[in-house]
Amino acid sequence: MSELTPSRLWSMRAAFTGLVMVILFFHLLPLQTAAGSWICPDFVLAFALAWSVRRPEYVPTLLLALAFLLTDLLLQRPPGLWALLALIACEQLKLQSRSLRDATLVTEMMSAAAWIVGIGLAYRIVLAILLVDVPPFGLDVIQIAVTVLAYPAVVAITHIFMGVRKATPNDIGGKGVRS
Amino acid sequence: MSDHLTQRINRKKGDAALAKDRAQVDYAGPLRRLVLAVLVLALAGVFLLWRIDSPRVERFRAQVTDAIVPNMDWAMAPVTGTINLVRDFQSYRRIAEQNTELRRELRQMQAWKEAALQLEQENARLLDLNNVRLDPRLTYITGVVLADSGSPFRQSVLLNVGARDGIVEGWATMDGIGLVGRISGVAQNTARVILATDASSRIPAIIQPSGQKAIVAGDNSAAPPIDFLENRELVRPGDRVVTSGDGGVFPPGLLMGQVAADPGGRLRVRLAADYERLEFLRVLRHYGNEPVSDTGDVLRPAALLAPEVGE
Repeated sequence: MSELTPSRLWSMRAAFTGLVMVILFFHLLPLQTAAGSWICPDFVLAFALAWSVRRPEYVPTLLLALAFLLTDLLLQRPPGLWALLALIACEQLKLQSRSLRDATLVTEMMSAAAWIVGIGLAYRIVLAILLVDVPPFGLDVIQIAVTVLAYPAVVAITHIFMGVRKATPNDIGGKGVRS
Repeated sequence: MSDHLTQRINRKKGDAALAKDRAQVDYAGPLRRLVLAVLVLALAGVFLLWRIDSPRVERFRAQVTDAIVPNMDWAMAPVTGTINLVRDFQSYRRIAEQNTELRRELRQMQAWKEAALQLEQENARLLDLNNVRLDPRLTYITGVVLADSGSPFRQSVLLNVGARDGIVEGWATMDGIGLVGRISGVAQNTARVILATDASSRIPAIIQPSGQKAIVAGDNSAAPPIDFLENRELVRPGDRVVTSGDGGVFPPGLLMGQVAADPGGRLRVRLAADYERLEFLRVLRHYGNEPVSDTGDVLRPAALLAPEVGE
């Protein structure tokens, strides 16, 4: 089913771009103008990690970099830093994707969680070194925690609704039909 | 027999495809690393540029926002409307208790209304006696809120008015009642308002009736704390907080809210503007306060001045 034709490859890349735009769209809706409201998970990062583990070829490096940079610009973060860290995390997971392909969901989640926590801390450390005003530590910790907790749900959505699944040897010629 | 053959052929095809896959990865490896290195350097460059020359990058950010967000507006307006509708609908469940509460409040309000009417008449009479003219230069432009900051760490909204409408950096923004924030970041069609609750917001204020000066410093909470208060004893919860106009950024006398004490005893401002529903905001045109530069001659009549000159 996941036959890798160019049309499917490019349509999935377009789908990822669309997904990022939809997430940004819901972030920007003027619904939460009061302070001290909900902290929602960083869905762009979670989806990018989940897609990187499953199908590295659907999320090429350049697309990821542009998506993260756009997110930085639109969400009023210091531009570039979070994009840089998230890009490195995604690329590392892509390198591991071959071994994660056979691993269980728990292993994958641990790996993703380690990266989410790691870049969250690195982000704060770099900002602190460069004397940029950082948000309160508690807020950041909550955001990291909810992102880690949301990761399984993101994986489920990716797997079930978007049909982005880990490649298995059976995928190729499994049904005896190749286009 | 034929099944067996098909399976073998399939397996061979599978092997070939896997081998091809591997070959592609091997070939693409160095190229991919190069692309990654270039992108990492570019992103680090953007970040350092922002750290060194923030205004330029912030202008670029405003332009990007200006190019993207207004295009989303056609979809944002109905989605926002629908979600607000659902929220309103949920609130119908509490309608009975709200009703009784409102009746009670209405009775109190009627008393207040009487008092207000009397005061209004009195005020009008006094103003008439004094020939007072309110500042005619303080006009405003009304903008619609397009988007919020999208992150819990920043408190700002995006308005659909910008440099095209003559918006200038630093102007004060109000909803119908109280101060909301300050314009920071103007693009051609959009402008960003940093709310008074944002962690970077510092607004000089006067607390009435004691006349104490203070700074209202946002900290990402719904009620910003009051800093640099001279004498705490003179300030009580319930006092009015208005802008002082110090620093020349805001016009003086804009209502911010009321003083409230949090459980820790710290004084905070309960903001008068309705931050839950920011839809239309007024941007006040403000061309700076005139500084008082000369000493008043009125204080020393000429008759008193003359002997001194003689000496």
